Amino acid sequence: MSDAKSGKDVLTRRKFLGGLALGAAATALPAPAIIKSASAADPIKVGVISPLTGAWTVYGRAHIAGYELAVKEINEAGGVLGRPIEIIQADSQTEPRIVAEQANRLIRRDRVDFLAGTFSSAERNAAGPIVESANKVLLYPTFYEGQEQEYYPGVCNPNIFMFGPEPTQQVWPHMEYIINTYGGKFFMIGSDYAWPRVTNMVTKQKLAELGGEVVGEEYIPFNTPQYESVLRDIRNSGADVIFHSLTGSDTVNFRQQLAAAGMKDDFVLWTVDDEEVVTSGLGRDVSANDYVSFDYFMSLQTPNNEAFLKKFKAQFGDDALMNTVGVAMYNAAHMSARALEAAGEVSSEALRANLKGMSFSDAPQGAVKMREIDNQLVLPSYLMRVNPNWTSVNDMFTQVQGFESIEPLTARCANLPL
Amino acid sequence: MAEFVSVAIDATLLTLVLALAAFGLAIIFGLVGVINMGHGAMLTLGAYFAWWGVSVLGLPFPLAVLLATLGVALVGLALEHWIIRHFYDRPFDTLLLTWAFFIVSTEVIKLVFGPDFRNIANPMSGAIEFSGLSFPTYRSLVAVISLGVIALTALIIFRTTYGIRIRALVQNREVSSLLGLNVAFTYKAVFCLGSGMAGMAGALIAPMMSIDPYIGNVFLVRSFFVVIVGGIGHLLGGTLLGSFLIGGSETLFALFSDQVVAQTIVFLLAIVVLRFRPQGVLSVK
Repeated sequence: MSDAKSGKDVLTRRKFLGGLALGAAATALPAPAIIKSASAADPIKVGVISPLTGAWTVYGRAHIAGYELAVKEINEAGGVLGRPIEIIQADSQTEPRIVAEQANRLIRRDRVDFLAGTFSSAERNAAGPIVESANKVLLYPTFYEGQEQEYYPGVCNPNIFMFGPEPTQQVWPHMEYIINTYGGKFFMIGSDYAWPRVTNMVTKQKLAELGGEVVGEEYIPFNTPQYESVLRDIRNSGADVIFHSLTGSDTVNFRQQLAAAGMKDDFVLWTVDDEEVVTSGLGRDVSANDYVSFDYFMSLQTPNNEAFLKKFKAQFGDDALMNTVGVAMYNAAHMSARALEAAGEVSSEALRANLKGMSFSDAPQGAVKMREIDNQLVLPSYLMRVNPNWTSVNDMFTQVQGFESIEPLTARCANLPL
Repeated sequence: MAEFVSVAIDATLLTLVLALAAFGLAIIFGLVGVINMGHGAMLTLGAYFAWWGVSVLGLPFPLAVLLATLGVALVGLALEHWIIRHFYDRPFDTLLLTWAFFIVSTEVIKLVFGPDFRNIANPMSGAIEFSGLSFPTYRSLVAVISLGVIALTALIIFRTTYGIRIRALVQNREVSSLLGLNVAFTYKAVFCLGSGMAGMAGALIAPMMSIDPYIGNVFLVRSFFVVIVGGIGHLLGGTLLGSFLIGGSETLFALFSDQVVAQTIVFLLAIVVLRFRPQGVLSVK
């Protein structure tokens, strides 16, 4: 840039050395502070990986908001072991490949103490080997397919703790009610990947026990715009219940077209995927009277949830959406903080040992407990019906039935306890 | 028999809705030769314009569709005037430029409207029952509109003097400009028309789908296949036949297999068709 003519811009050797000495002095000064790093007020760093862009962006906001709210509460109460918690945020872009990059970056460069987040099972599975080899804990928030040794190290991994429900918690408790009320002929429709397939497999076991049957089963490739042939299959199947596990925009496309075909009156739809965010996107006419089951809903009228929503809305506004995943992130933040506090030190070993068996009675969905044998949260389970004339997430669902504490089946892992 | 008829109805609806979605691309890619990777974004913009019209301005749905058509036509006009017209000789560059347009407009949509799912209430919910057969009302209407729009455009192109100019341009640009045809203006008009068609399609599809920043994308690849399999430049027959092969035929395969296999067979079929008719089904070499 600077040529020889503009003499005053040219860096002389003397100036350069002088600058160097100054720089060295400047960096030398804070050095003692760095050396005693691990003590007192240095923050505990948590790497939070959320789907902030990409296909599942709609879930990302509640996902990160749940963790942020909990961290704010923890820090206002004095932090953990006298140290504040600091969130290092990372965007998964809803892509497993990016999750792997981000997890590595958070661990190697940002030197986080542990990780929380990832969203889909594919994302969690991408993070599995990384947390395994780096010996870092991952707190996973999403409802998922349960743990099978086959999918190790994405599951059955001692470093991964599950804060969301799996099918024997989310689906099984409500099958009797649905079957007794509407009949036992299920038409299963889901997106074509692991979570819907395994969820349906687990659901079928229980369905057979209860005397029901599967009259149709369809898996839909991602981003399918039109559903004519599936709707015809459903119409001809003689099903009582449409058991629904499509994800992302496909869930909206399918349900819009089901409603548009005038089929809503002839079939009962039970979804295990569409929480507050998706139901808002569906609109009233399309979602009216459908059933949804999860561990958490904003519509829950319990003291725990009312207290939680008050804090949530004060922070993020009256229109902000919360859901099962955001609440799981909230619980994960609080429970990990308590685990470290109880251990008296910050390490992966301390976190693992103390998370196991930990109870959290303030959880928004009702008291929860981390099961020791397989790192799976024991939590409530609710079946809700979508109000036909809801106006917002606050009056979206009516509770049909609820169970305070559901023990899932033991994880199908080779090396229990994890 | 009833089963056969109901499959035929499904196949027809699928074909015509896809044809509508692909039509804007058929015009721009087929007539002007611009590989419009921004087609998906134009559909998306159309859907958002319609949502905006219905939910924010409180317009009745047909007016919102008109708003979307004009709005996206205007966006197309701006895109053509400021950028694309300088690149008509360089198809690969237009591919990149329209792809950039897709990225920019998707991000702008996210900034303006946010990433949430939105919806437009179905303007004509329910189904028409007719001698044991059921026709979803709104989809049937969209199918009829699709047929009407394609037929009308074909009429303009094959039966009017404007159409003769456009066809002359497609056949030989130099000669038609030597004969006094305003090439720049005609290209602009065609590009604008194609954009408007995409906007209208996006608006009409919106009540059947989730309105999110990626709504147009599910149709992008399918639309390209429709145009290429049908034969570039064959607006009427090519679009319809291509849509049947890429969309409608899926219903037939789904009779014998599950959805994943059916959708795979469709694209396999497209490859096979192109292998033996590289110019498209309707083109003669």
